[in-house]
Amino acid sequence: MGSIKAMALANRTKGLDRERGGEREGEKVRERAIVVENVSKRFRIPHEKKVTFFDHLIGLAKGGSYSYEEFLALNDVSFSVNKGETFGVIGPNGCGKSTLLKILAGVLYPDSGHVKIDGKIAPFLELGVGFQPDLTALENIRLYGAVMGLTRKQIEGKREEILEFSELKRFENMKLKNFSSGMYVKLAFSTAIQTDPDILLVDEVLSVGDEAFQKKCGEKIEEIRRAGKTIVFVSHALGTVRDLCERCILLDEGRIIALGEADEVVDEYMRVMDRTG
Amino acid sequence: MWIIEYRELIRILTISDLKVKYQSSVLGFAWSLLNPLLMMLVLYAVFSNVFRFDEDSFALYLLIGIVGWRFLANGTMTSISAIVGKQSLVTKVYVPRQILVLSSVLSSFVSSLLEFSVLVPLLILFGVDLSFNVLFFPLIHAIFLVLVYGLSLILASLYVYYRDLNQIWDVLLQAGFFLSPIVYPISIVPEKYLGYYMINPVTVVIEMYREVLLYAKTPSVIDIGLIVAAAGLMFLAGSSLFGRLERRFAEEI
Repeated sequence: MGSIKAMALANRTKGLDRERGGEREGEKVRERAIVVENVSKRFRIPHEKKVTFFDHLIGLAKGGSYSYEEFLALNDVSFSVNKGETFGVIGPNGCGKSTLLKILAGVLYPDSGHVKIDGKIAPFLELGVGFQPDLTALENIRLYGAVMGLTRKQIEGKREEILEFSELKRFENMKLKNFSSGMYVKLAFSTAIQTDPDILLVDEVLSVGDEAFQKKCGEKIEEIRRAGKTIVFVSHALGTVRDLCERCILLDEGRIIALGEADEVVDEYMRVMDRTG
Repeated sequence: MWIIEYRELIRILTISDLKVKYQSSVLGFAWSLLNPLLMMLVLYAVFSNVFRFDEDSFALYLLIGIVGWRFLANGTMTSISAIVGKQSLVTKVYVPRQILVLSSVLSSFVSSLLEFSVLVPLLILFGVDLSFNVLFFPLIHAIFLVLVYGLSLILASLYVYYRDLNQIWDVLLQAGFFLSPIVYPISIVPEKYLGYYMINPVTVVIEMYREVLLYAKTPSVIDIGLIVAAAGLMFLAGSSLFGRLERRFAEEI
């Protein structure tokens, strides 16, 4: 464990240097889509969870202790993502990837530090958020579009495209509860991808549907990337990260231990894992 | 501004709340209108025979009070769980969370409008002269909407942390029902308590409903100013508390 931290520090400075160097060379000053500055997030896990007024009263009567464990999910994390960049986030389980993504999505708030986001963000934290089993496919498309902040007109303009991409046109009036899980995921991905976001947060959702559909999703993501959209990609699939991402961060125990070219960071990750694992 | 940006989501959530409430059936809809009428009959039987208030057209007096109160009671009781009940829209994706409370309040608002619209034929049937003062009704109801929304923001955000708040609120609502002039005329309130009694903005609102619908009176500027101030304060208090508590919603649910 000691070695990982020492390496962490060394790598961190290396990574930051590289980034600064890149800017000094001034390849071209790209606008920032996401800026994360010194973000920390700590979760409190109370020894005794009090969820009602009644619990609090009992607690007071017993002498009123509010002891809890603290868990530092993110520790002073800073990085930035350029517009049009595909940016990877990797690390072992429990390293803070999901917490980071949730903070970027605006679902969680950091305890300290700032997050600046420029553009409309589409979080694929989980596919099919807000989908209701008792509504038909079409109604769910409308609901999801609304969750993404689209107007009625925009949604109606996209619905044919969505149904076509998902290959579910025939089932548009079927209730979602009668869908197979594969169909569900197809519908969810197609809807999410068509909402025309500037920034995509992708959390391990690319492995959906059958192989043909997966390929289609991969192509779609590639198309979005070429269209100059920003993608933040969280994954355990190191190969995909290597292929897709330009730059990448490696998180461990809530700290950034490497930041830089995707290839190098992935190599670094594999070295670190070998040594500790 | 999130109300404009997410208007489609607000519309869809409001309609789906209404659908659930009326269970997409005609009977469900009829019940929700029959409910206040039946309640009025029961209270009428009790309070006109036992207490013998000599209020003119006491049945209509009661009914307006009940329908007005029901907006507050149903609106807050359904929106108290607006955040906890829509978990995936809080923890999995970002939407301004006020939307969940607003759409829940709005669905109660629509129900309330339907209940009031059943009231109108009854007023005519009982020979009440409807004057131009009825035109004040939308204004009063809109101000009441802001008040109920502000209150609902407070309740829904506290409910995330205190899950027995709905039980407590239920009891408080019952107390409020009898602390507002719904089943009795204000004239029975002893003079020395009247000052405190009138602090309750719901009292003022319900009295104004009666003025414009039953007594063909123009509401006073002071009364309107009073409820605008109360609604504004409630809205500000609700928004600021909600904004503070919202930060940990996703962790606490």
